[in-house]
Amino acid sequence: MIHLKNLDKQYKNGDQTLHVLNDIHLKIEENEFVAIMGPSGSGKSTLMNMIGCLDQPTSGEYLLHGTDVASQPEKELAKVRNAQIGFVFQQFHLLPKLSAMMNVELPLIYGGVKKKERRERARIALEKVGLEDRVNHLPNQLSGGQKQRVAIARALINEPSLILADEPTGALDSKSGTQIMELFTQLHHEGATLIMVTHEQEVADYAKRIVTVRDGEIIKDRGQEHVVPR
Amino acid sequence: MSFLDSVKMALRSLWSHRLRSMLTMLGIIIGVGSVITVVAIGKGGEAVLTSQFAGGGNNTFEVYYMPPDEELMDYDAYDDVAYTTEDLRAIQEMPSVNQVIAYAYDSTNVVYHQEAAGAQILAINENYYDLNEFTASSGRLLDNRDVDNGRRVVTLSTGVVEELFATDDEPVGQIVNIEGVPFEVIGVHERENQSFFAFQVDEVLLPQSSWPMLYGTDNMDMLNVQANSADDIQVASHAVTNYLNDQSTLSGEYQVLNMEEIEQGISQVTNVTTMIIGGVAGISLLVGGIGVMNIMLVSVTERTREIGLRKSLGATRGNILLQFLIESVTLTTIGGLIGIMLGAGVANTVSLIAGWPFLVSIPVVLLGVGFSMFVGIVFGLLPANKAAKLDPIEALRHE
Repeated sequence: MIHLKNLDKQYKNGDQTLHVLNDIHLKIEENEFVAIMGPSGSGKSTLMNMIGCLDQPTSGEYLLHGTDVASQPEKELAKVRNAQIGFVFQQFHLLPKLSAMMNVELPLIYGGVKKKERRERARIALEKVGLEDRVNHLPNQLSGGQKQRVAIARALINEPSLILADEPTGALDSKSGTQIMELFTQLHHEGATLIMVTHEQEVADYAKRIVTVRDGEIIKDRGQEHVVPR
Repeated sequence: MSFLDSVKMALRSLWSHRLRSMLTMLGIIIGVGSVITVVAIGKGGEAVLTSQFAGGGNNTFEVYYMPPDEELMDYDAYDDVAYTTEDLRAIQEMPSVNQVIAYAYDSTNVVYHQEAAGAQILAINENYYDLNEFTASSGRLLDNRDVDNGRRVVTLSTGVVEELFATDDEPVGQIVNIEGVPFEVIGVHERENQSFFAFQVDEVLLPQSSWPMLYGTDNMDMLNVQANSADDIQVASHAVTNYLNDQSTLSGEYQVLNMEEIEQGISQVTNVTTMIIGGVAGISLLVGGIGVMNIMLVSVTERTREIGLRKSLGATRGNILLQFLIESVTLTTIGGLIGIMLGAGVANTVSLIAGWPFLVSIPVVLLGVGFSMFVGIVFGLLPANKAAKLDPIEALRHE
């Protein structure tokens, strides 16, 4: 489903050229659960942004469902992000003045879905993450774990082919973190494709495959047979 | 994303910062409000001035004597101006003339027992009421029977009554002396439809036929002529001035106020005033617009992460641009609408007090709304463009 070929990303800083990603090759199939690991500054976040169509490579190809999205104009990328990718962030990034329901339906607004259908689908998404009784709460009335579940519902609502999570448990206590990871595992069992950036081994262990990045290169890519029990 | 959704989103965002939105709107409110007020008051004032100068629309014009330039400041030059009974009859018989309204006047004292009051004495007949409407607040007004029968009766204005009589004295039926001649007070009169700025004159009205008793002449000093129709005003004024100038032995000339010129003059004055004040109001709108831009820029910075998030959820540059543009346009349009209501309210109050027509015109209102929307677009464009161009990754990382 995802195929990165010879992917390079460079930043020019004065006379210096910074190679953030260097000749990346990566293939991810449907219904995989992949963790991208690496120390800070390794380029894992850039890789993640690249996969999420938030950033474009300096050279190389990015095939998503067989189409090269790397060379698409900004407007097309926005469409891809809207329809195909669901983001989950470390800091949740919920809009504070909007209720859980309204936060969840945001992607549908940009997708041009009618209000009635938006409401219905947002309700279903919130049910799926176990927040059917928090529909009209504002983000500051929710706990960290609940906030992240709202964010996951938002990521799920457009039935994307890919869910990208950037340190999804980074801002949570361990109990909420576990709940979130269990939710991801459940989504994976239901057929979702998940890519998660983390620097915590414990979190990465939930994934079926761990890709390790260092200095802009993939240095390790191995599958895991089973989830390590805690 | 539908336009309606964008508008709702903008309204929700403005509502969540109510105080700030209100303060930002204030500049626009004041700007639009003052434009509406100034234009409305200007138009109302102009309408009133025009109708007063143009003889209230009853086709009347005033004839006056204009001495030669060197005698302009000489008060005596006006003393010999007199319209004889023959003059008045000749004018009355002109085909374009409907009626002649002539009166004599003098300033002198009215005496009642020990009290004396300075007043304008006007010798009139019933025609005079066509120049200005009068009502009697007590007793009755003079009529033509008083004139025809040479009755020695007067009506007093409220001001004269207040000076001559104690508060609970009834003036009607009392005898007052003017130039040593006793007159019976038959009423207290009031001028109707006085404009806001016209000051009340202390005056005494008496029948024309009693004027010779006081001054030994039946010549009149003031002449107004009512033409048969508006179209006849020009013809009548030429005929009247030609006749008078032919008869005259004076070095000056009889003239007629040219209504058209006066109307143009008034309209020029009010237009210039309206433009000047309108310009000042326009500047305040401009300042208001800059205020909107300022706040929108602050808002964009504050909401950098929101913008990043929206982009990651699939908002295009166009969506973000539109969102912020709609916010600023909504801000200025609501401000403009409040300003219009406020301005109309003030203008309405002023015209109620002044007794002017209420002249907030639809074009001015539309212009107000249109201009405030325009201000919103112009001053919203920069912040909205700044928001649209934000890089989503940078924006999401923004603290």
